[in-house]
Amino acid sequence: MLQQQLERNSSNSSGGNKGGGAQSRPSFSLRGLGLRLLGLAVIDAVASLFVITLFGDGLPIVAVAIILITIVVNWVFLSERLYPLRWLTPGVLLLILMVVYPLIYTIYSSFTNYGDSHRLTKDQVIAQLKTQTYQGANGATYSWTAYRSPDNKFKIILQNPTTNKSFIGDESGLKNYDAPATLPTTLDGGFQKLTPFQAASQEKQLAALNLKNDQVAIQLISSSQAQELLSKYSFDPATDKLTDLESKVVYTPVKGTFTSSDGKEIQPGFTSLVGGENYGRIFSDSNITAPFFGVFVWTIVFAAMSVLLTFAFGLSMALVLNDPQLPLKPLFRSLIFIPYTIPSFISALVWAGLFSIIGPVGIFSKTVFGDAFSWQADPNWAKVMLLFINTWLGYPYMMLICLGALQSIPTDMFEAAILDGATAIQKFFRLTLPLLLVSVAPLLIASFAFNFNNFGLINLVTKGGPPDPATTTPAGKTDILISYTFNLAFASGKGSDLGLASTISFFIFLIVAGITIFNFRFTKRLEEVF
Amino acid sequence: MTNKLFRRFSLILAVMMMALVLAACGETATPNATTAAATTVAATTAAATTVATTTAATTANATTAVATTAATTAATTAATTVVATTAATTAATTTAAVTTAAPTTTAATTTAVATTAAVATTATPIPQASSEGNLVIWVDDGRAKALQPLIDNFVKQNGIKVTLQTLAFGDIRDQLKLAGPAGKGPDIIVGANDWVGELVTNGVIDPLDLGAKAKSFDPVSTNGFSFNGKLYGVPYGTEAVAMIYNKDLVPNPPKTWDELKTVAKQLQDSGKVPQGYTMQQDSPYHTYALLTGFGGYIFAKNPDGTYNPKDFGLDSAGGKAYAEQIDSMVKAGLLKKDVTGSIMEDAFKKGQTAMIIDGPWFIKDLKASGVKYGVANIPTMTTTPRPFVGVQGFMLSSFGKNKLLAKTFLTDFIATDDTMKAIYTADPRFPAWIPTQAGIDADVAAFGASAKTGDPLPNVPQMSGVWDNWGKSVTLIFQQQVAPDKAVTDASTAIRAKLQ
Repeated sequence: MLQQQLERNSSNSSGGNKGGGAQSRPSFSLRGLGLRLLGLAVIDAVASLFVITLFGDGLPIVAVAIILITIVVNWVFLSERLYPLRWLTPGVLLLILMVVYPLIYTIYSSFTNYGDSHRLTKDQVIAQLKTQTYQGANGATYSWTAYRSPDNKFKIILQNPTTNKSFIGDESGLKNYDAPATLPTTLDGGFQKLTPFQAASQEKQLAALNLKNDQVAIQLISSSQAQELLSKYSFDPATDKLTDLESKVVYTPVKGTFTSSDGKEIQPGFTSLVGGENYGRIFSDSNITAPFFGVFVWTIVFAAMSVLLTFAFGLSMALVLNDPQLPLKPLFRSLIFIPYTIPSFISALVWAGLFSIIGPVGIFSKTVFGDAFSWQADPNWAKVMLLFINTWLGYPYMMLICLGALQSIPTDMFEAAILDGATAIQKFFRLTLPLLLVSVAPLLIASFAFNFNNFGLINLVTKGGPPDPATTTPAGKTDILISYTFNLAFASGKGSDLGLASTISFFIFLIVAGITIFNFRFTKRLEEVF
Repeated sequence: MTNKLFRRFSLILAVMMMALVLAACGETATPNATTAAATTVAATTAAATTVATTTAATTANATTAVATTAATTAATTAATTVVATTAATTAATTTAAVTTAAPTTTAATTTAVATTAAVATTATPIPQASSEGNLVIWVDDGRAKALQPLIDNFVKQNGIKVTLQTLAFGDIRDQLKLAGPAGKGPDIIVGANDWVGELVTNGVIDPLDLGAKAKSFDPVSTNGFSFNGKLYGVPYGTEAVAMIYNKDLVPNPPKTWDELKTVAKQLQDSGKVPQGYTMQQDSPYHTYALLTGFGGYIFAKNPDGTYNPKDFGLDSAGGKAYAEQIDSMVKAGLLKKDVTGSIMEDAFKKGQTAMIIDGPWFIKDLKASGVKYGVANIPTMTTTPRPFVGVQGFMLSSFGKNKLLAKTFLTDFIATDDTMKAIYTADPRFPAWIPTQAGIDADVAAFGASAKTGDPLPNVPQMSGVWDNWGKSVTLIFQQQVAPDKAVTDASTAIRAKLQ
């Protein structure tokens, strides 16, 4: 029935296509429809499982977003009218989910104190504090032994070693028990004595027993001990106050930590909104502001120089390889491209090793420049080293795109230039380079943005060192903004401070976005000129 | 028109039916898929993981309570920012790197290994979570191999289900902070004592009581696991640095620091080795013995042996003597700048240096190199040096579903002669359990002797900031960029500001 329907459907649409003369749409085949339905079904199945998981984990907003996205995807793929959107929708929706959502979340986090010691939610902290107990002044400690009957009922014998009194307890409550010197292995009713492990594995049933002495609950606190324990904290949601029942101290939440009037704090704290505190810190905390300018300038220099050097080197290689007279061209091309095929973190580590005091480069430079010379301790040489390594890592890519771009430059222009008597240098700077830049400029911008955030290289080669003696902040002389942020947020204070990290990364986002917009304008002008 | 509507309706119906069938397949595939997926994930690369994570997350959902939240929360946090992405994965590694070889990270001394670790952490597996009647222990791969036979035996004897879930060492701490609060954590973790402060302030581990058994543990080990007056772990092994010397070059290990300097100078002057004694400039952890040997301290101690984080002493008279000592040794050519941990170990293996201070994690590598080595206590300076002692042990998750069982397991099974002996045999670290300390391997015993005189690694959560500034001051002295006095004073000012 459905099959017939689908067949009719397919013939209908193809007929429609012919009639309408829509050339761009492919003819409507049954196999295509089947694949599309199967694809959609897979997407829907994965999405629905995701949604269930997300709801279960208390993230309803994300779950609803995924539901909406799935509906849009289904709609777009089932509607013939929205055909042109089919190829764009998945990308756009993923962009929203993976870029826009995290961006909004980052901005939100920058207004909170989320991070170590403020990870739990307020409800979790309160729930955890409510389970805390204390032993009152008259609270007794017992040793306990558990028994189980064949029909899975439990009894517990409690013995107080100080008063030598014993009790036996079950669902109905505690009764006095006349304990012999060694406890029996069986009790009336077929109750068998349990080993500590057997007892402990039934902790839920044991906790359900009604063990109370004068309204004070007796809890099993270890494999052998039970104690009369009272709840330590009570929380009043109406007044938002937490009371320590033992010391009668009242705590109120201050910036995600329950704090008493005399400044005593209860750990753990919880995540809470702190307003613009993180933003204030960036501008007022001298630890953050002091090295910021130097780091910022070096970040720009590092990114710009990296692009310039890799491009210059890659382009010259490309020009050489482009020469029709060069023999063994494929061999050279593959050899020169090899650095790009090695994972960059391996190359970076290898180079760091070569430059170290036991590496050949390190030993050579010491013999030439003297014993005081150091690639690691001298900030300027450390920067040279980083740029060198980054050029090595980046030039093959530039070479490859330049090779491609060179092919697309029309040769008749050069012929005309030669007729006009242009020198080789003139040809390069007046023709090759400008024409090349039109197609390569966007990639140079991308490379700049990448190097602006090139955390990996800095972290692998220098870790930001050598340290800057002028500041006590964890900022080294070769730290770029992203590695500096990382140090600030994760290595310098009381563990991870994700709120502050979010704030700084938001600023980095603004900076990179600004530079990119500027660069795009610039490129546009370039295109207009040539 | 109706025909068109009907067509569209049947299309939607078809999609929904297929989706249902596929979803059902996903659900039924769960029980086997979970563990398989979790283990494979650990081995796969970061890229592959994302896919595997997704699959595991979806399959795992309803039936077994696998830590999907860990994945999703991690995903949200990670996705949060450019920084956070690197952060979530590398946070562990950074601390590990700052702590350098904080004895916990056995082989993290070499950069290469640290990097692999960084790469490995990116591949975060989805760990198994505690559920009622299933005691779940999170443990790293090496120790899981050591514990598995013991656990098998325990399961056979007591009929209680125990699951060992392997994770990368640093991931245990990071994942517990995410998965625990989401209700997807384990019952027990195996970790290092310097995690305690961080885990307690995040509210993810519970205190425990060893009762009379506390006396059977080396005090340095239980002190290491204490925080704010409560014990948070059952220790099993301790680790500390000691002096490792080349027997061919130094037949008798020096007993005092002055003696060490004389021996080193003689070896250098005679041209036998380029460097008699070698110390790395990037690990304050390794220099702590020198600091305490000259009477300095990081945190002063309370009468009960615990630290007082309010009294910081890198710039005390002893601390300044320590800084000046490093400075004068650099000036005299007895120490060299730009030496990292891997360079130091490499030089020793090649016989290019005669004496180093390093930990037991170096021994395996050293044995393979064929150098005739000895392990001795660190020479005495103005007073007996106390190295930092890292303690390994079992901790209780606050979010486990079998708390009484977990406690019983630790006090009645782990803290026993047989188990402690078996743990030592499988994972030879100096035992924290005193009865096991007799009759062990000579090297382990030698490092153990050094550990016995040592101070536990501080577990205050602010320690990462302390390592950072302290390490920076040591590097600056090595590089002769700042006067020793100023280096430690500046560092202490910054650290005190963080400790407030």
